[in-house]
Formats: sequence, C-alpha cells, structure tokens
Amino acid sequence: MKFIYTLLAALLVSTAIAQPSKKTAPKQAPLDRSIVPQPAPAPKIQIGKATVNKLDNGMKVIVVENHKLPNVTYSLSLNLTPIAEGNKAGYISIAGDLLSAGTDTKTKAQIDESIDFIGGSLSTSASSVSGSCLSKHSETLLGLMQDVLLHPSFPIDELEKTRKQMISGLTSEKTDPNSVSDKIGNVVRYGARHPYGEFVTENTLNNITREDLLGYYQTYFSPSVATLVIVGDVTPEQAFAQANKYFGAWTGNAVPVRTYPAPAELKANQVAFVAMPGAVQSVIDVTYAVPLNITSSDYLAATVLNNILGGSGFQTRLMQNLREDKAYTYGAYSSMVPDDVIGNFSAGASVRNDVSDSAIVQLLFEMDRLCNEAVSAETLKSAKSIMSGAFARRLENAGTVAQFAYNISKYNLPPDYYETYLERLNAITAEDVLAAAKKYLKPNNCYISVVGNKDILDKLKPFSKNGEVMQFNTDGTVSKGIIPPPAGVSAATVVEAYYAANGGKDKFKKVKSMKQEGKMSVQGTSINIETLTFDNKMLRVEVSMGPMKLSTQIFDGTNLVMKSMGKEAPVAPADILKAKMEADFFLRDHMADFGYSLNLAGSIMRNEKEVYMLETLNEKKKVVKTEYFDKASGQLVSTYSVEEGPEGAVTSETNFKDFMTVDGMIFPKTIQINAGGQALDMTIEKITINGKVSKKAFKVD
Amino acid sequence: MKKVILFVALLSTFAAQAQNIKFIEYDLPNGLHVILHEDHSTPIVAVTVLYHVGSKNEQVGRTGMAHFFEHLLFEGSDNIGRGEYAKYVENAGGGLNANTTQDRTFYYDLMPSNQLELGLWLESERMLHAKVENKGIETQREVVKEEKRMRYDNQPYGNLLPEALKHAYKKHPYAWSPIGSMEDLNAAKDEDFVNFYKTFYVPNNAVLSIAGDMNVEETKKLIAKYFSDIPKGTNAIPRPTVKEDINTGEVRDTIYGKDELAMIVQAYHIPAQGTPEFYAVDMLNTLLSNGESSRLNRSMVEEQQLSLYCGAFTFNLEDPGLTLAFGLTNMGVDPKTLEDGMNKEFDKVKEELITEKEFEKLRNQIESNFVSGNSTVAGIAESLANYHTYYGNANLINTEIERYMKVTREDLRNAARKYYIPENRVVLYFLNDPKLSAN
Repeated sequence: MKFIYTLLAALLVSTAIAQPSKKTAPKQAPLDRSIVPQPAPAPKIQIGKATVNKLDNGMKVIVVENHKLPNVTYSLSLNLTPIAEGNKAGYISIAGDLLSAGTDTKTKAQIDESIDFIGGSLSTSASSVSGSCLSKHSETLLGLMQDVLLHPSFPIDELEKTRKQMISGLTSEKTDPNSVSDKIGNVVRYGARHPYGEFVTENTLNNITREDLLGYYQTYFSPSVATLVIVGDVTPEQAFAQANKYFGAWTGNAVPVRTYPAPAELKANQVAFVAMPGAVQSVIDVTYAVPLNITSSDYLAATVLNNILGGSGFQTRLMQNLREDKAYTYGAYSSMVPDDVIGNFSAGASVRNDVSDSAIVQLLFEMDRLCNEAVSAETLKSAKSIMSGAFARRLENAGTVAQFAYNISKYNLPPDYYETYLERLNAITAEDVLAAAKKYLKPNNCYISVVGNKDILDKLKPFSKNGEVMQFNTDGTVSKGIIPPPAGVSAATVVEAYYAANGGKDKFKKVKSMKQEGKMSVQGTSINIETLTFDNKMLRVEVSMGPMKLSTQIFDGTNLVMKSMGKEAPVAPADILKAKMEADFFLRDHMADFGYSLNLAGSIMRNEKEVYMLETLNEKKKVVKTEYFDKASGQLVSTYSVEEGPEGAVTSETNFKDFMTVDGMIFPKTIQINAGGQALDMTIEKITINGKVSKKAFKVD
Repeated sequence: MKKVILFVALLSTFAAQAQNIKFIEYDLPNGLHVILHEDHSTPIVAVTVLYHVGSKNEQVGRTGMAHFFEHLLFEGSDNIGRGEYAKYVENAGGGLNANTTQDRTFYYDLMPSNQLELGLWLESERMLHAKVENKGIETQREVVKEEKRMRYDNQPYGNLLPEALKHAYKKHPYAWSPIGSMEDLNAAKDEDFVNFYKTFYVPNNAVLSIAGDMNVEETKKLIAKYFSDIPKGTNAIPRPTVKEDINTGEVRDTIYGKDELAMIVQAYHIPAQGTPEFYAVDMLNTLLSNGESSRLNRSMVEEQQLSLYCGAFTFNLEDPGLTLAFGLTNMGVDPKTLEDGMNKEFDKVKEELITEKEFEKLRNQIESNFVSGNSTVAGIAESLANYHTYYGNANLINTEIERYMKVTREDLRNAARKYYIPENRVVLYFLNDPKLSAN
C-alpha cells in the first residue's frame, strides 16, 4: 500500500514540475548548497480596510473588522497635550488608574469581578479606557467601559491605597538601572519642569488630593478629543451601533491645549551620572530632544537613518560595532522618537564596567560617521529591506490597520499615506539620509547618561565640557552637578528676575550716580574702597589705607588711568573694556556690545539651594565668568571667574551675603571674595544714589 | 445525566469559538519531523526549527551550552560567511531570533512569503554544517557574559529564578538556569562545542514547523530539496532520567541583596505537564493569580495591602516543574506577615470547594486565554512544534482546552491538598542588605 502512495506522490511531483513555465531540475542531482535561493515574485502588501465615522457628540470611531479570532478590542483614547504637574507630579496617572477603581454604583472589587468573570481585560489610564474580550461577551465589557468612563467615583480609600503602593514602587524602581536611566534621560533632555521631564517623588505623591483627580477628569475627559478604535470579530455596523449605544450620550467640554517651549540645545557634550550600588554594568544612553514629529517632511529619512544606526536587528552599525566586533554588550540600539510636543533621540547599550568609556567612544563615533559620510548603496538598500519587511509583518496584527487610520485622522495625513509608504521609502536617497544625520545626530551636543558603578565616574569626566559631571541620585533627584534649565527659562528671564528681585529695572534706570563706600580687613589692617559710577559709563575706584592711596582707577568713558602706590600703570585695551563693563549696571542686557554672550547652563545645588548658572562666554565661546542666581528669589548670590594671567589662569569667587535697601533698591552688604588663595570680607558701609558728583572726579590726566 | 448533557453542550461551545488550526505533519527519512500550517491572511511565513535540547541536557561542569548555541548558530556555516546569517534574513525583509529554555531551543525566521526558500536554505545550513569555530566562540562568550550581567546580575531580584531552581532541584538538571555558569563557559573547549553540536543539532532531534502564506505541496518539495540530504545523527541523545524527590520537607533560606523591598518566593513541586493533575494545578494558579479579582491579588494587594504584587504561576517544564508563588512586600510590611497571608490563601483552596460561580469565572478565563493564544503565524508554528515535542500530539493546539474543561471543583481541591503543602515547597526570603545598597 505504502508503495502506491509513494508512486502517487512521485507522479504528483512530476506533474507539478512539468508545468511549462518551470525549469525542471535534474532528478536526484546533489544540491549545490553554495547557491543562495532567489526570491519568488514579491507578494502584494495589502493594508486591510478601516472604517471611520463620527458620533454626534464629536467622538471619532475607527473600526477594523477581523474574524480570525473570536475576540474584540475596544480602545478609547483622548488626544491631549501633556500637562506639567509641578509639585503634584503623579496626580494625572493616578486619576487614570482610579477611573476603574470605583463608580457611582460599583466598588473596585465588583468591577474586577465582572471583568474577570468574562475572562476579559479592562485597563484605564490618564488618556484611555480600553478592554478586550471574546466577542460573545462584548456587551458586558462595553457596559463596564461606559460605567468607568462616565461615572467614576475616585474613592478616597483607593487613592490612599494607590498612593502607598506608588511610594513603595519608588523604592523598588531605584534598584532597576533601566528605570533609573529612563528617568534621568527625561530629566536631562527636557528639564525637571517640563511635563516629559518631571517625575514623581514621595513629596509630590503626598500633595495629591481627590479634588485634583476629579478636576483632571472633569476638564480633560471629553468626547471632543476622543477616538474609539474597535478591532476584531465585529462588523462595522455592529461596532458603530455599539459605540452609539454606550458612548453616544457622553458629553464634555472643549479641552484646553498647551504648548511648551523646546528645551535649549546643548553647547557641548554633558555627562549625567547615577551611581548604582554594586552595578556590574553601565547603562549608557546618549540622548537629547529632537524637533521631530510624524508630519516632519524628513521623518521617513530620519527613520531610515535610525535604522542604519541602531534601529533593530543584527546588522545596524551599533550592533555590528559594539556587539559583533567588540563584544562590549548583548545589544546596542538607537531610537528616534517623533512626538507632537518634542521628540527624542537615544542611543545606548548596557556594557560591563571596564569598557564604559570605550563604548561611549564607539557610540559617538558611529553617530559622527553618519554625519560625515554618505551611506553606501548597499547599506541603504538593506535598511530599506528591513523597514519594508517590518512594515509587512506589522500588518499581521489587525490593530496596525487601526493605528494607521488613527494617525491619518489625527495628523490629517493624505488618505493613501500608508499605501504609498513603501514607494516613499524606496525614494529615500543617501543624500536624504546624510541631511537627516546632519540635522538630527548631535555627537557633539548630547547628554551622555550613565547609570553604573561609582568606580567608573573618573573615566567619564573627559566626555563632558569642563570635566563637569551632572550627578543624580537613583530616585532622579540631583546629587551634584548641573540640571538643564527647564523649558521657558533662559538667560534673559534669569536677568529680568534679578532686576525684579532688587527693586525693579525702572528704579535702577533713574540712577545717575552711585557711590559705594566699603571696608575690608587685610591681615589686621583696615582698607577702604570707594567706587563711584556715573551714567553707567564712567568709573572711579579708589583703594586707600588710612590717608594713603594704594591704588586709583579712573575711567571717563573713553580713557583709563590706573595708578598704583602713586605710580601710573600701563593700560591694556582689555583693561578699558573691563572698566566699561564695570561701569555699566545693565551690562547683562547688552553683552554682545562687548564681544561676550550669556548662556544659561542650567541650575545646580549650592549650599542646599538651587541656583541658576549664568555663564559669560567670550568670542571663542569659552566661559570666563559664571554667575549664580538664587532660583527662588532671583538674587545674585555669587560669581566665579577665570582670568588668564601671566602665570596661568587665576580664578576668583565672590559671594554676596547680607543685603541692604537704599532708596527702594537692594544692594549686597557683605561681599566675600576668594582670590589667589585668600579670602576677604568687604562690608559696604554706605551707598549714595544720585549724590553730588564733581566733574573732576573722572578727570583722567 | 442532565449534567453530562450540559457538559457536552459547553464543550461544543468551546469548539465553536476556538479557531480550528489545520496542519499536516510528516517525517523525513532522516528523522526530521515537519509540520505545515497554511494561512494566507498576511504575506509572511514563519520558518522555525525546534531542537529538542535545553539546559536539562547539559552536564555538570558544562552548563550554559544549549543557550550558548543559540548565539553560536548565528555565526554562519560552510556556505554562509561569519555574521552573514542575519544579513540574508534581514536584507530579504525578514526578522529572526531564537530562544532557549530548560527543554528546547527554538529558532525562527519570519520571512516575506516569497523568501520561503531562503529561510529553508538558511535553516538547513544551520542544521547540516554550522560554523562552530574559535573566533565565533570567543566573541559570543563575551556577548553571553554581557547578557548574563544584563538579565541577571544587574537586574532587581535578578537571582530570583536561579535561586528558586537551585533550592528546588537537588538531583535533576533543572537545578541550573539556561544561562548557565560563566566558569563553565570559560572552561569549555572548542571540541566540547563541536560534540554538543553533533549530538543535538541533528534532524532526528528537530521539528521544522512552518506556518503562514505558503503552499503546502510546494513547500514539501522545497523541504525535501534542502533537508533530505542532512544525515541523521549517530550519537545517542542523552536525556535526563533522574526523578526529583518531592515532599521531602520544607526548605527555607534567606538571600541578601541590594533590593530594598523584601520579596518572598515559594516553589512547589507539581506533576508533569499533560497529566490530569497538572491541569488542575494550572487552573488553581489561574484562580489565585489571573486578573485583579484573583484570590492572591484581592486579598494581599487590594484588601490587606501587604503586597505590591502577589501571584502564583505554573512553571511548566517537560519533566515535572514548579508552581512559583511571588510576594513583593509593600513598604514596612514584615515578610512573615505576607507569607502567612499567602499561606492562608493556599489553605483556603485546600479546605473549601470553590463556588459554582467562581468555577464558571475560572473556566471563562481559561477559555479566553486559550482562544486568544494563537494570534500570529510565528506563535502557531511554535505551539505546534511544542505540542509535538512534549506530547507527541500537535493537534493539542486545538484540543488541549478539553483537558482543562474536564477538571472538576473537587479536582482543584484535591490537587491543592496534594501539592500545596509545606513539605513540598521551598520558601525563599530575598532581603535587603544595607551594606550592598549603599554607595
């Protein structure tokens, strides 16, 4: 019997290969295994159909019918701009969680029991309510979704329970290097005040009240910003009827929209470090914010670029270099994430401690290489193949079709946007990729975040400008180093806050002349210092010990004379410039006139207070002076400057301590100067505003 | 009698709801088992090979070999240059990867359907004459060490599973994890790798499972073309025969680490997968852990707030596996209080028959999980290969649910009484050592 089947099978085979269009392989010939099989004609990629509709209340409904499995998924999501939560960080996500933690008629236990009874799932977040189940149970699921969406009760005991769990969760997150790395990445990229950069702490959790949750729900849950996506074993007719039945009566208000200023671009690379106790690997993340969203004209080129660098698979430059060539890591990846507010770039790997610095060098090298060399035709082709393949594979999930329809509707994309995807992908050139690299890859303007063993810290310093490393604790708070400025804060706003803190700019504008009389003690000897300025242009500084004049400096706005112990000292052009700047109270408003610029480096913890660091850069963009302004009061609290002298750089630090009020304006009273290894305290004894000034005072000959 | 009819009616409901996955299967003369499932809904095809080798086939002193091969077999073959394996797949628009368990190693290439032949060529090259050479071994040794650091040493509670296995198994090779020991990998000679390959990576120890957009008859021809000349393995394939003793008394231990919240792990020995008692145990774990209303979650997390996360899961293996129960303490909770609470839930299923209503919920959950389980061609190819390898019955992909539906409320209570007892378990406390969490 078996013989007959074999014969039949052989016959069938020969019939099949006897088709005229096919070449006949010689039977039984040994296979030449070195021949790589060629592909059959490419299959047509077909994107399934999505049906889009709108309810009377403004809610959009997208349906993708797919009967492969007898189940159905309902995802209702809200299109909201992110909200900065400030000292209540966490309240939005708690509001989302608690939607399903009780309604006007059901306790959390009852909701849980009902959803589990049908073997379904239900989850809620700050901008979504979704559920899935076997299609035969869909009416039960929709009833529950409707109840949690329309009648949440935000029970106070559920808030307390969640608060406690989240505080415990913070403890547990601290030991996960990847969670810590994600948190620090957000903080450095966006700043701790941006909605994407701020994070939850025990304090912020303790500030949250039930009213915060209710307020959020009442303001933002509205059909006007909602889209319901239904995928699975249901017809569009049934689905729209369900949407209408369960969500048609939902009403809500117009929802506020917010915008956020983009974070400032870095002037140089900046290392951010978190010491992780006992770490045997460093989690490295080279990252920064990028202005990229789905509708950017070069979004696709940027995506191709990322795929070549480290998108996915084994062939990317990062994977080949850091894993296959150097065996530094199990995997090295990059991502270029588009976002409606601000996107981000990230490239990194987990590597053993002793190659942390080498791995950073290679990450930056591969980024730099893409900025300088166009990719080969082969590389480009391979990246396109990977992307087309991934595109086709994604279509296996019916949810992808729904996602496409959702994006088209949300971003107002052309209706054939995804049908033409492969065509558009194919049209990307090596030049497009190079242009995207130059625009989006910043190997010299990036944050290099490392979560790792404390022993590697010294090896990281050379990657940062000035060798300064921002240091964070595992909970995301600053331990040492610079925090990037939050969105909306710039050098100009810091300077304005400074004027405001001292009585207001208007008052200072009315100052014609100002005389300050100060005193300091040097090795037991009392020294007097008298400074006189006029019209923000002229300056006279006199240092005396009793009746003896130690030095005089007179500047009439053009010419400068400097005398020391009665003898005239040579004047360099730099001295004149310095005198001009010293005479000018509003110097910070027009730094450019002097060839300098201001840069707000960020903030730092100093004497347990957070202070802004305002840097003065020279024409070569080198930092010559850094001023520290108290973040809370706006007041200038200290300056730090570097001066190139004949014997190398001389640094000096000045701290302003007590303050006094004169004619409604505030001035420092105690000025502590640390220079050349000496610390001196100067006390300002008297300030005279708009007093009588003799013209002779500024006579220079 | 009425009950029986109801029961049959229920069964037919399940049959109606579940998708009926059609497939054919056959053996090549060299012993390679082939399973084919045709599905044209998306133009992709999953070409997968399951090798019936996992960490339980390793020798003491040479652990980690099976997983190491998962890396090594991407290095190339006589006709595929070093590093080109992935290139062929990815440049053809495919995706690929592999994974290793205690019992088997699974490779898959997810190809556009017009590249089926390329996938078959690649997998046949891997089976016939993969490159097992020094250069690749040295590189992958370092990569695997990084994988271990990343997945275990540098992870919160990363030693949890290795410690649970080590304490639960005294005789059986399940005592070590697939990642193995780095000392063993360092000690392994090139010829150890070659022998391992010749023993386990042979057609008579493999299942070629293909699912997706292809024509069965055409595919059979291609399979014959690429796989029929691969010789059958000649080495005996070692499989552990040792049986782990159970009910030998409670094992308790404390492990100190840098994680701040205390974690409790209980490991109970359970019956071999596929046995009626196994299904009862698996359903008990669903009852205890599936969903917010599950017993452990409701009592420990929601009501008493002793835990952040609490559940019991079936760690099913080819030889008898474990139920692993976890309890992560909420802040300020004494781990002993949490353990007592968890034990009360275990006691409850031993003492009280679950209600009809809860039993119905449990069956609904099992049905939903089973029906929604096979949603991708890659997943279907893998399930078919697993069912064939472990049970000799690939059709369980359609019918295994019937075995669950045979379990009665009494079976649940009996299984709990038999297996969820202190003498049959390991209890581990993972506690914080402040010295380790300080910088």
